[in-house]
Amino acid sequence: MARVEFRQVVKQYHDEKRGTFTAVAGSSFVIEDKEFVVFVGPSGCGKTTSLRMIAGLERQTSGDIIIGDRIVNHLHPKDRDIAMVFQDYALYPHMTVKENLSFGLRNLKRPKAEIEQKVANASAILGLTELLDRKPRELSGGQRQRVALGRAIVRDPQVFLFDEPLSNLDAKLRIQMRVELAELHKRLGATIVYVTHDQIEAMTLGERIVVMNQGHIQQIAPPQVLYNEPQNMFVAGFIGSPAMNFMDARIEGGKAHVEGASFTLGDAEVKALRSYEGKSVVLGIRPEHIYSDQFAEKMNVPKENAMQSNVQVIENLGAETLLYFRVGARMVTARVEPETEARLGQLMTFVFDRRRMHFFDPATEQRIVV
Amino acid sequence: MSKQAKLTLLAIAAAVLMLWVVITIVPLYWMVIGSFQDSKASASFNPQMWPKVWSIAPYERFFTKTNALRWLFNSLFVSAVITVTNLFFATLAGYAFAKLKFPGRNSIFWVLLSTMMIPAQVTLIPLYVLVINVFNLADTYTAIILPSVVTVGNIFLMKQYMSTLPTSLIHAARIDACSEFGIFRKIILPMSKPGLAVLAIFTFVANWNDFFWPLLVTRSDSMRTIQVGLASFRFAESTDYGAIMAGATIGALPMIILFFALQRYFLQGITIGAVKG
Amino acid sequence: MKTNNVRAIPGPKAPHSRFVQFWKDYGWAYLFILAPVLLFLIFTLYPVVSAFLMSFQKYNVLHSKWIGFDNYAYMFTDNVFWKSIKNTVIFTVGTVPVNIAITFILAFFIFQMKQSWQTFFKASLYLPAVASGVTISLVWLAIFDPTASGLMNRVIGLFGLDPVLWLGQSNKALFSLMLMSYLGAHGSGIILYLAAMGGIPKSLYEAADIDHASGWTKFSKITWPLLKPTTLYLAVTGVITSFQVFISVYLMTQGGPNFATTTIAYLIYEAAFVFYDFGLASAQSFVLAGLIILVSVIQFKYFSSDIEY
Repeated sequence: MARVEFRQVVKQYHDEKRGTFTAVAGSSFVIEDKEFVVFVGPSGCGKTTSLRMIAGLERQTSGDIIIGDRIVNHLHPKDRDIAMVFQDYALYPHMTVKENLSFGLRNLKRPKAEIEQKVANASAILGLTELLDRKPRELSGGQRQRVALGRAIVRDPQVFLFDEPLSNLDAKLRIQMRVELAELHKRLGATIVYVTHDQIEAMTLGERIVVMNQGHIQQIAPPQVLYNEPQNMFVAGFIGSPAMNFMDARIEGGKAHVEGASFTLGDAEVKALRSYEGKSVVLGIRPEHIYSDQFAEKMNVPKENAMQSNVQVIENLGAETLLYFRVGARMVTARVEPETEARLGQLMTFVFDRRRMHFFDPATEQRIVV
Repeated sequence: MSKQAKLTLLAIAAAVLMLWVVITIVPLYWMVIGSFQDSKASASFNPQMWPKVWSIAPYERFFTKTNALRWLFNSLFVSAVITVTNLFFATLAGYAFAKLKFPGRNSIFWVLLSTMMIPAQVTLIPLYVLVINVFNLADTYTAIILPSVVTVGNIFLMKQYMSTLPTSLIHAARIDACSEFGIFRKIILPMSKPGLAVLAIFTFVANWNDFFWPLLVTRSDSMRTIQVGLASFRFAESTDYGAIMAGATIGALPMIILFFALQRYFLQGITIGAVKG
Repeated sequence: MKTNNVRAIPGPKAPHSRFVQFWKDYGWAYLFILAPVLLFLIFTLYPVVSAFLMSFQKYNVLHSKWIGFDNYAYMFTDNVFWKSIKNTVIFTVGTVPVNIAITFILAFFIFQMKQSWQTFFKASLYLPAVASGVTISLVWLAIFDPTASGLMNRVIGLFGLDPVLWLGQSNKALFSLMLMSYLGAHGSGIILYLAAMGGIPKSLYEAADIDHASGWTKFSKITWPLLKPTTLYLAVTGVITSFQVFISVYLMTQGGPNFATTTIAYLIYEAAFVFYDFGLASAQSFVLAGLIILVSVIQFKYFSSDIEY
């Protein structure tokens, strides 16, 4: 069984200059056997530190880490039955591919036949068989990445750990590798813990995603849940591209009033927002849920919540067009059909899909659950 | 700047530099040229810029009047041993300071580094008492070698060099069940060859050229290193300039040959350890 | 979130005592630094403490006796001691700035050249650095030969000047040693400057050009300030080295004529290994150390105030 569990794991650093720095605040979660879990968040959020603690490369300040059915707190990385793929691949430059792949097994003094077989197996899966005698410097970026993967596969670990493995690849290769990684997961049936700062990677690869910010876990959920039911403003703004729009809204008389429009709310929303009567909340809505007039009709979106505004910026991306307009002091983005006719400065009608509006408490930044 | 100003600058630069190269090389040239001309021991040193008569008499005198070959061997032995010990210990310590985390790492390193500020004169006198009287090692190879087994400068050099190696390799090796010393031996060392080469060369040359400490701890002529031997020869035969020049040439020749053979490492090495602040 | 109970064993929370765990974690690192630390304790720390104690004793090979501050008192009333300080200071002040200037100018010139010429100049100007202090001193001893056939005298003879008693006259001897320094090896400093010059982004100069900066402005406002770290390094190491000038004095002038070239380092050597007065020598060496630290600190303060990284 290859589940990974954190129980109130904390990692703190002590620095003479900056005092105590908390890289990971009390984290608790369970990663199930064979699950592909992605840790995502901006730089410094604690995701890589968490990964390293699973690997045993860093010792946690407090809390327990469980891999399989063992508490591994004091176990050396080599005893934790894990394998890791690093961002810069970390291939031993003076060894051939074959030696790179077999290094771990050789250190464990496994029988030669077993090593040969496992290396051959991993090479076959990843298409490395012709490259076995080459040195890393003779390989392309994509090939090096496969060798790094192969080294992990050869160990046949309980848990695979990935530290931003695709960051050093160019965009096209990255997309290709994403697909291959997903297939590899199915094929190996392994538990995978994957760290990235790229939310698209997270959304496409993760069965569940752990969103982190400044050492704290913000939300753990499957991609769709994160997209539709973000727990707070950070998650709402981090997941999805272009990012969710936020604007100030005052709740009064069952309506949400923003500068330039008053939006009617459904019964459920009115009930949920009752305690905010007369106060300000943050209204969030994704660009893809703000429609132009014709687009709204086409998509059967109720047109009751509309506002008129001048187009400030137009970005034509081919498959879609982004229109920017002002609500109060904020710039709001609407994603519309590419055929939409728009000119700079033109006064247009923007339809807000009421069913897709989110409301956040301005102080706690938590989503107001409806 | 304008094309013409640039050209003028280049011309001046070239002229000054060539002149300076001449100035720099002339002393060595003078030494070699002087060593091949036979000055009568009593007459003053009056060599030609280019010898009318070449003679190896000064060399004959140098080798017959002194224990030169033994001196050269002593220098070779001592420098080689010190180079090997430094290669091992300085690299090990440099790696530890660069890549391993342990309590007191920074403090210990700074303390070691601060010793570089202490002038030799402060430590050499008690060191002399320690080695000669307490350890009773007068006139031995051990006495010459012991204080230089691993120098802080070399540790600093290797720390600087090794901090450029990717730490992820060390992490990967740990996960790959490699022992700490195994990581050092199988991963770090093979990747540090250029740094090791620089360390070896600089250490060997520095110890070949070392004078003060060997002067203090050697007594008998047969234990002297070449530098100490040359100094004693200078005082013994103070008027035989020709032979002195011959001796100086012999003493410097191995290092000059080394320099020409491994120039690259010399020139590169200076910047590897260079203090950037 | 589910909270499964951990079923099977192993790994009690803390399998080892803290002490054992500490050594498991850090033992190797301490082992790796053991040799230098040991050497430091025996060959640096102990000697420094010992030297300090010695300075308060009348100490020679046979016996030692506490005499309190007598060594220091003697020092400060000893004319030769003050002369040695004066000589050393003159030597340092006279050579370090000049050498840095020479090094910098040469590096600057080399920097204008093509790569292949740069390598040639770097190599040829570095060459003397591989010759030992003994070698250099012996050669210059010959060059400074006071007769008309000495090389230096021949050179000045070209300008119609009479032969000079370079090392034999007290008003010329120290200068001769300084001259030896000026004309000596600048190679390593040149290489450091060249590396630093190469590190200055071209875009800074290009921006200055757009602002119509003159050559001098570019030099004084971009080049020189950005090279300050290197200059500081050369200045500090240069001072430390010239305060310890010994070999040339030992081989060429033996401190004379008439103490004109007696440097502190030479004085200490004489006190210790000619007169076997270890106590006095130790006291003198601490004064030397104090001077070096003082000057280095001053240099750091002066230069560091406007170094930015």
